[in-house]
Amino acid sequence: MTIFGLAMVTEQALAGDAELADEFVLRLQRAEPNAVAEVYDAHHAAVRAFAKRLLGDAASAEDLVHEVFVSLPKAVRKFRGDSALRTFLISIAVNHARHHVRAAQRRRRAISAYGDTKSLESSDPEREARRKELAELLTRALDGLPIDQRVAFVLCEVEERSSREAAEIVGAPEATLRTRLFHAKKKLRLALETEGLR
Amino acid sequence: MSKDLLAEATRALRETEPVGDLEARATRSRVMTGLHQTRIRRRTRLAFLLPLAASFVAVSAWGAASGKARLVLDRIERLVGVTVVSTPGAAKAPRPRLAASPAHSTPSPEQAMLAPNREAEPVPAAPVAAPAASVARATASPKPSPGQAERADPTFALYRVAHTAHFVDHDPARALAAWDAYLNAAPNGEFAPEARYNRALSLVRLGRGKEARRALAPFANGAYGGYRYAEASALLERIDP
Repeated sequence: MTIFGLAMVTEQALAGDAELADEFVLRLQRAEPNAVAEVYDAHHAAVRAFAKRLLGDAASAEDLVHEVFVSLPKAVRKFRGDSALRTFLISIAVNHARHHVRAAQRRRRAISAYGDTKSLESSDPEREARRKELAELLTRALDGLPIDQRVAFVLCEVEERSSREAAEIVGAPEATLRTRLFHAKKKLRLALETEGLR
Repeated sequence: MSKDLLAEATRALRETEPVGDLEARATRSRVMTGLHQTRIRRRTRLAFLLPLAASFVAVSAWGAASGKARLVLDRIERLVGVTVVSTPGAAKAPRPRLAASPAHSTPSPEQAMLAPNREAEPVPAAPVAAPAASVARATASPKPSPGQAERADPTFALYRVAHTAHFVDHDPARALAAWDAYLNAAPNGEFAPEARYNRALSLVRLGRGKEARRALAPFANGAYGGYRYAEASALLERIDP
């Protein structure tokens, strides 16, 4: 167990002490509420941001965040400490994302069928409207990608992670990840072009 | 142009406004509640399953040690109306005799009862197995060889001697002595019920009615469950007191 991996959990609590780090993982494995709460407070924003970007739907993202932290005590048994805990949490989210992606797609289809448009509340309504429109356009285009390519694109392009870190998260070789990213971008460009011209 | 559009859309997605603090706190509560429920479920499972498993182990050990497990199982089978056909070598304990095949010649009732039913008799490490038994053995785990079995339990050799005298040589006097020898060596042995029944048959053949009645009575009273119950009852009716 390297300290680097757990140092990001709670910096004050772990403070570079290997025994503390191991103890903390044990507490997580025992599903101690305080330990899970500490991890949640430290990392929920990153996990939530990733979930929101991947799914494009706030409600589905909350469900995914919930699932990640509830399954953490079981999943942490596989945590070897050779990556940051935050990276490990994102990889749990990736593993659980599949059915949430489908749920988010269904929700988006339902919303568009009812013609629901969100109200725009911003100091610069025009700019905000454009940003939202593009984000929604990209999310819809992402719906057309296989989950692996979708994850690769969100990790590398939207979250701007290095291909090495993204490969670590998805548990695939870097070359595979780059291939997935290449195909994802190619398909997205085509989809955006088609959508943008409508 | 399309490349710029993709870059712009990616930036737009990246700049998606963060979720409000309220939602984050609500999800935190859900997580904590979920963990709490998981802990309660695990504790309930343990509290329920551990005593159950401990009781099962204790009862099984007691049943195996006292030899009552087989009797209890036989009674349950009789109550439920289910009987399990056991293979000769694999029989740990007695089972009800199978109905006689209609293809066989029909001897007199007493002869039929006295006639040894080889398929129903356990033959420890018998060199030739019946076809049904060989099919069953093909699916079961490999059995020890005769020598291995006898080394593991020396009373098997005694049983084998008695079995040969009874079923092969048809010598009731020698068979009786051999059954007695086996039962003295292993009164609660694996094949003790079979040995007791065969001993009773030897007594019948030797015309020692009183002793035969005494030996058959436990079978007719159901002391061995359904094992030889009907045969023993029928024999008792026909033996002169």
